[in-house]
Amino acid sequence: MDLEQLRKTAAEVVVREDVKYLIGWKQGSYGYRVAPVFVEDASGAAELLFSPLCTANLATYLTLVEKTPLPRGQEADKRKVALLVKGCDSRAVTQLIVEHGINRDQVIVVGCPCPGVVDTEKLAEKYPEQGKPAEVEWNGENFVLLCDDKETELPRDQFLAEKCRLCRHPNPVISDITVGEPVEPWTLADDNGVEEIEGKNLEERQAYWEEQFSKCIRCYSCRNVCPLCYCQDCILDRLNPTWVNRAVNFSENTAFNIARAFHLAGRCIECGECERVCPANIPLGKLNRKMAREVRDKYGFEPGVDPEAEPFQASFKPDDPEDFIL
Amino acid sequence: MSAMLLNKEKWPEFIGKLTGKNLWAPKLEGEAMRFAPVAEDEVPELTDGNTRIPPKNIVFPQTETMYRFQLGDFEMKEPELKEEMILLGIRPCDARAMVIVDKLFSWDVDDPYYLKRRELVTLVGLACSEPGLNCFCTSLGGGPASTEGLDLLMVDLGDSYLLETITPKGEALVSEVSELLIEADTEKIKMKKKMVSESEGKIKRSVDHKGIPEGLPGLWEDPLWKSVSASCLGCGTCTYLCPTCHCFDIQDETEGFEARRCRMWDSCMFEEYTLHTSGHNPRPTRRERTRNRINHKYNYYVDKFDVIACVGCGRCINLCPVNIDIVEILRQVKEAL
Repeated sequence: MDLEQLRKTAAEVVVREDVKYLIGWKQGSYGYRVAPVFVEDASGAAELLFSPLCTANLATYLTLVEKTPLPRGQEADKRKVALLVKGCDSRAVTQLIVEHGINRDQVIVVGCPCPGVVDTEKLAEKYPEQGKPAEVEWNGENFVLLCDDKETELPRDQFLAEKCRLCRHPNPVISDITVGEPVEPWTLADDNGVEEIEGKNLEERQAYWEEQFSKCIRCYSCRNVCPLCYCQDCILDRLNPTWVNRAVNFSENTAFNIARAFHLAGRCIECGECERVCPANIPLGKLNRKMAREVRDKYGFEPGVDPEAEPFQASFKPDDPEDFIL
Repeated sequence: MSAMLLNKEKWPEFIGKLTGKNLWAPKLEGEAMRFAPVAEDEVPELTDGNTRIPPKNIVFPQTETMYRFQLGDFEMKEPELKEEMILLGIRPCDARAMVIVDKLFSWDVDDPYYLKRRELVTLVGLACSEPGLNCFCTSLGGGPASTEGLDLLMVDLGDSYLLETITPKGEALVSEVSELLIEADTEKIKMKKKMVSESEGKIKRSVDHKGIPEGLPGLWEDPLWKSVSASCLGCGTCTYLCPTCHCFDIQDETEGFEARRCRMWDSCMFEEYTLHTSGHNPRPTRRERTRNRINHKYNYYVDKFDVIACVGCGRCINLCPVNIDIVEILRQVKEAL
């Protein structure tokens, strides 16, 4: 990736009168961290970064903006928001357009074809994080870690993030401006990422998820980081009636996690953010991936690839399979 | 204060004497470490690093039943707390955090639930020989072998643990295992001092908080709050994993004709936290909520209890999904003063 080109393009976008800011990635404060950044002027664009450490899906910020009441006589800021996206992130933008979560003409999508990102947890396990921020770059098939003037080759099959092993859309599915050359989609992993769970019988699955959900501390980071969890009035926040109690125990935790998984069926674009941010290491990716597989296999529907598509949960076809109805 | 020595060969025996007494120790669950009960035949290994989930839930459970009641019955049934417990391997920062939180729970009213649990728990600390990447306890009055809040401190000296008793509770525990211990000589005390100073040297991050508590009110409308909170997702990771965050909510839960009143952790980073019944929210955006988090720790708490409500454990930095870094925020605050 040519960073100069990215920064130049970004600088050109942010100076436009109809643009409020551009959301991108910048180097984090230590180790392998990368932080989201809101660029408001051309000079800020110099901080931008696109590397195999840019795991975060920035599309979540499109719907995270809090709307406070406007002071009398003040006009709402209707300028557009520009956003850097990888392939998976662009699917979130597409799905938001499909659901009318955002208006297409309010967003400028700057697409960054993505050869896959690294699993920073695996990376930190092998090469512990240092106080100084480290850099990781793409190098042909593999990744290369630059730290303390040393270059370390990171084999792709060892360090590629789980979500990328199964990624079918490395190139942004929509973009107004593309930075860099399209990448060749790679051969997908043989497994479907949920085989381990599918191999279990019902009791074993129950035991597995019971163990996992019992760990949940209900910090809601999975919900808040999810670009498609953007209800203004979330069922989990309701107090009258209280659909899900605030008490933290297996029962309520399960209600929370299952509610989220169901609400994301046919909408989850498998960016893996929920799993990445979970402080309790609950394999939420497996749950959502399973739902996505079901929807794809049964209904031939894949969310976030066609901005003209009808939302899955709001569409009906007479020949939809219904073999699960008793 | 006395110092004893426990040879690591006797570790399983030492644990064996404690397991019947509701012993808890750090345990790896998946990739996340947290405190969990030690089973009868289990011998926990104490490793480097701190637990991801702090032990505050031992004295301040995430969900606590205050009392139960039934429809048509005016009797309230309060749970009886009486089981003693031993927390083995708590880090000095987390024990210090409990001392800080004690001030709140014994302030205007003595909180019966919290204080009872504090009374029942014996804290057996473990000095840090390998501080984490984002530890900054030494900036805030703590240290890798700080004894504040601990009943007993263990220091890893390679082939043995040095045990320093600090309180009568710690002495009582030591007396129960005394046949496994020998008196520590001055050589071992020297080794401990060396280990501690080396460990302090490994702490790379620091916060210069001089002037911050007094200066924060003047920065109320500073543009820095907008920039440091821009990427905040509004989740509860930083507060729920903070050993000193202690905010709670109280709710009634009903099931059929039975109900309970319980209190559960709450987080000032949630929108719901300050939402009024009228629909008005005095902290409407993540800017105000982030500002509150920093102010509460570094200003309000200092005002009221004369101590900063942050121990420098680094958890909020390690686990923030978007790399919001409190050391960096405080650096900016200091600059803006």
